[in-house]
Amino acid sequence: MRTIRYLLPLLLLASPAVAADPFVKVSQQVNEKVVKIFGAGGFRGATNYSTGVLVSADGHFVTIASQTLDTSELIVHLFDGRRMKAVVLATEPELDIALCYIRTEGKKKDEPNGLDLAFFDINESAKRKPAEPGDWVLAHSNLFEVAMRNEPVSVMQGSIISFSKLHGKRGIFDFPYRGDVYVVDAISNGPGAGGGPLTTRKGELLGLIGREIKNSQTETWINYAIPTFAEVEIKDDKDVVTKVSIPKFVELAKEGKYKPPTKVINKGGLGGYTGLKFVPNVLDRTPPYVDEIIPDSPAAKAGIQVNDLVSFIDGEPIYSIKSYQDAMSRTRSGDTVRMEVRRGDNLQSVDLKLGDWPKGLLKPTVTVPPEKK
Amino acid sequence: MFFDRRDALKAFGLAPLFLAGRAIAAPDKTAADAEAERVKVIAMVEPAVAAVCFYGGQVCGSGVVISDDGYCLTNYHVVQPMESNGSVMQCGLADGKLYDTILVGQDKIGDVALVKLLPKKEGDKFPFVKLGDSSKLEPGMWSLAMGNPFGLALDFTPTVTFGLVSGVNRYQPPEGKGTLEYTDCIQFDTSINPGNSGGPLFNMQGELVGINGRGSFEKRGRVNSGVGYAISINQIKNFLGHMKAGIDTDHATLGAAISTAGEESGESISKMVFTQLLDESDAARRGIKPQDQLLYFGGRSVTSTNDFKNVLGIYPKEWRLPLRYKVGGQGAAKETLVRLMANMDKEVEKEGGAPGGGGPQPGPGKPGPQPGPGGQPPGAAKAAKSPAAKMYEAKKGFANFYFNKQETARLLESLKKAHGDGTAFAGNWKADGDIKLADGRTGELKLEWVDDKDGATEVKLTRGNISPDTVKPLGTDITPADRFLPQGSGGLLVALFQYKLFFSKLNQGGGFKSNDSTNPGFTHGGVEPVYPVGDDMKLKQGDDLAKSRIDCEVIRTVVDNYTTKWFFHPKDATLVGWETSFNKEEDPCEVYTSDHKDVNGVKLPHKLVVRWGDKVYATLTIKSYTLGKK
Repeated sequence: MRTIRYLLPLLLLASPAVAADPFVKVSQQVNEKVVKIFGAGGFRGATNYSTGVLVSADGHFVTIASQTLDTSELIVHLFDGRRMKAVVLATEPELDIALCYIRTEGKKKDEPNGLDLAFFDINESAKRKPAEPGDWVLAHSNLFEVAMRNEPVSVMQGSIISFSKLHGKRGIFDFPYRGDVYVVDAISNGPGAGGGPLTTRKGELLGLIGREIKNSQTETWINYAIPTFAEVEIKDDKDVVTKVSIPKFVELAKEGKYKPPTKVINKGGLGGYTGLKFVPNVLDRTPPYVDEIIPDSPAAKAGIQVNDLVSFIDGEPIYSIKSYQDAMSRTRSGDTVRMEVRRGDNLQSVDLKLGDWPKGLLKPTVTVPPEKK
Repeated sequence: MFFDRRDALKAFGLAPLFLAGRAIAAPDKTAADAEAERVKVIAMVEPAVAAVCFYGGQVCGSGVVISDDGYCLTNYHVVQPMESNGSVMQCGLADGKLYDTILVGQDKIGDVALVKLLPKKEGDKFPFVKLGDSSKLEPGMWSLAMGNPFGLALDFTPTVTFGLVSGVNRYQPPEGKGTLEYTDCIQFDTSINPGNSGGPLFNMQGELVGINGRGSFEKRGRVNSGVGYAISINQIKNFLGHMKAGIDTDHATLGAAISTAGEESGESISKMVFTQLLDESDAARRGIKPQDQLLYFGGRSVTSTNDFKNVLGIYPKEWRLPLRYKVGGQGAAKETLVRLMANMDKEVEKEGGAPGGGGPQPGPGKPGPQPGPGGQPPGAAKAAKSPAAKMYEAKKGFANFYFNKQETARLLESLKKAHGDGTAFAGNWKADGDIKLADGRTGELKLEWVDDKDGATEVKLTRGNISPDTVKPLGTDITPADRFLPQGSGGLLVALFQYKLFFSKLNQGGGFKSNDSTNPGFTHGGVEPVYPVGDDMKLKQGDDLAKSRIDCEVIRTVVDNYTTKWFFHPKDATLVGWETSFNKEEDPCEVYTSDHKDVNGVKLPHKLVVRWGDKVYATLTIKSYTLGKK
């Protein structure tokens, strides 16, 4: 058996048919390990679709931690056309990754779902020798939402042109992931491509295609992938450093044991002044519902109303009062930010020209909800 | 100051070493062979790649020559700006020369146009490429895109780019006014840019597999985004016969709305079910009802809305194709043939397209002429003097009626070779033989065509001792019921009347006039699939049906309110059959002919099988014809 296995690859290499169209089979195999994700978004350039990579036979998949996942109605289409619901188990913004799980109808969240899918072994992938500049790669993704149901995702071919850090910015935000990435010469990172697999030409997983980011100096979009061996060091407010790698994240998140390290709170300040006051921040993820608006403040002038829910700031999704504060901490008086607020069933876009904090006004302290025990 | 690595090395006197080092590290043999093969293929197809230009040479897009007499494919959106120049343009080939070119046919919805290059000297042959089979493409295969992006090459040497097929059977919705809908198209990462439109996509054998025309851009700017689309050559083949006949071709609808069932009830694999059907659609006439499940169309399975749009979008209107369905989604599958309905027809336009929100097609409409740069397209004055300008004739429903007349004349010539010239026999006709009805009854058959005093021909069918049916199709006192006589045939007598008229006139002139003065009475109708019924009178199913299909050349005649399509074998122009219809609410009467034998120097069919809708009416065996002269 061993001998046969050893001989087979040699025979294949010698075959001219393989030389002519080497990627057809690889592409079919990779496609079976990819899911097409449909979720939230669909406005202001935020796509409501993305791509995911299966990492277990029963339907765990990883993708980028994008706003697409910010819905209770997350849908995936499998390679064979099955349309299924999925839930997010955990996210880690520093790795820009999320682990999700496919649910079968009528089964509970943690019940076995009976799926038996082809998948990438993320541990094995992370242990493999990294690819080098010049290596051929394939990118598979559902960019531009070209594929639905059983339609195969798109395959693109290119080379790794560099392995380096990105100092991109997205909106007013720093690009969340700070490690090395594979930069490729294929135009792999189109809308919705994020989360798709970047593989070797043999279909071995190298990394996840990253979110869309643009080089603000050259006005060009960057084509890159976060390697599966990515590991980040996250420092908490007590200066304790936690190392988190993608395989570790996946392993813990599968078990429901992944807890994002408490990040250092940006003590730098509150950012520009809006005049918004929110409901009491009591939960881990208290939604930023507007409770009060200071008269004549920028928020009042922009027409924000009580009970509006702040959903996006400059295109970045806002999940909680905390993420609102994070977002605002990076602004300054004089900046104009665009907020999307949910009012009733509609999203309203408003531009706020941020002001200085009025003297004598009691500034809120940056609040952190109590750790759950 | 900056210099690249090589400059740096040169500065240290290392350049020779560096270069030599690169040369020694030769690629492995497989890669070198593949490269050599690729270079060979490119050299082979390059001479046939065209730059489509305004008259005078301003590049507008790309194209590719597909026959030695200069037929060339491109995008409709490339030639559309030339409309105001009388559709006269020029095409530059890799030989550096500009050839006067005229629009032949177009497919606005599919974004394809067929143009013809005129040789510099009559009889000169053009280099051309072979059409491939795009259904054999798979994601991951290599492809070559060629054309003239950005109007780069002033000598028209095409640019070549190389990349992967990223996806097949892709659906891209219409861009504006219901045109430029890319169904069942090919997606690739091969770089295409403005100017590549209309240019060829080749497989690695140098066969034409698609016409590049679109990309996904969305906030990426209108340059290569890594996602380009080509119209599949297999779709274009379906329209090529129509385009060669100068037709402004139309795509089709099934006349039925289809939607995904079970999406909300949690069934993970979807079912496609009919939700609404137009009464005048073939599907409704075949008895398909809402909630019936669509399984296959045109031989391909349908499991999603995209599938449905893809299989439907590749066909011209009026084509007959097999449809497989399950009544109520249960039990055994049934197969039936349905004719596709027009997409851009006035009637449909008024009714706002097919019923229901899940309708297969967007709102129809004709794209208005777009003003060229500076309002007037370049080269207008010179274009008018080109010999190509003499090869253009405007007519409603046609891209260029000149070519329709050419194709009609050519087909009539072949037809006269196959069947002889029947124009001498304009008098009364008689035919004797047997008739066998589908229910098994048989009898003697007598057919008579008699010119009445009022000039209108009366057709009479006598079957055994049963009282004969007579119909005067152009008579003033004809009743609606008469038109469908004999009962169950769907109008065999009217069809037989058309037959005599057609063969004794055989020309584009008198006799063929419709009630609508803008509708020419005698035209080439392109190519349509025909599924002849044999004299066993059994309707074929599945593979047998598919095998029986003949893609026939069509002559379309209109007399009064009767439209008849005459189907000729593509090889030798033998009459395969014809169908006559009176209105859209009814199926046409179809007649399939065989056993063509000589009668007074003309070849006439001696076996006629008559079909109406999904029923066979009878087989007519003719033993003798008597053809009267005027």
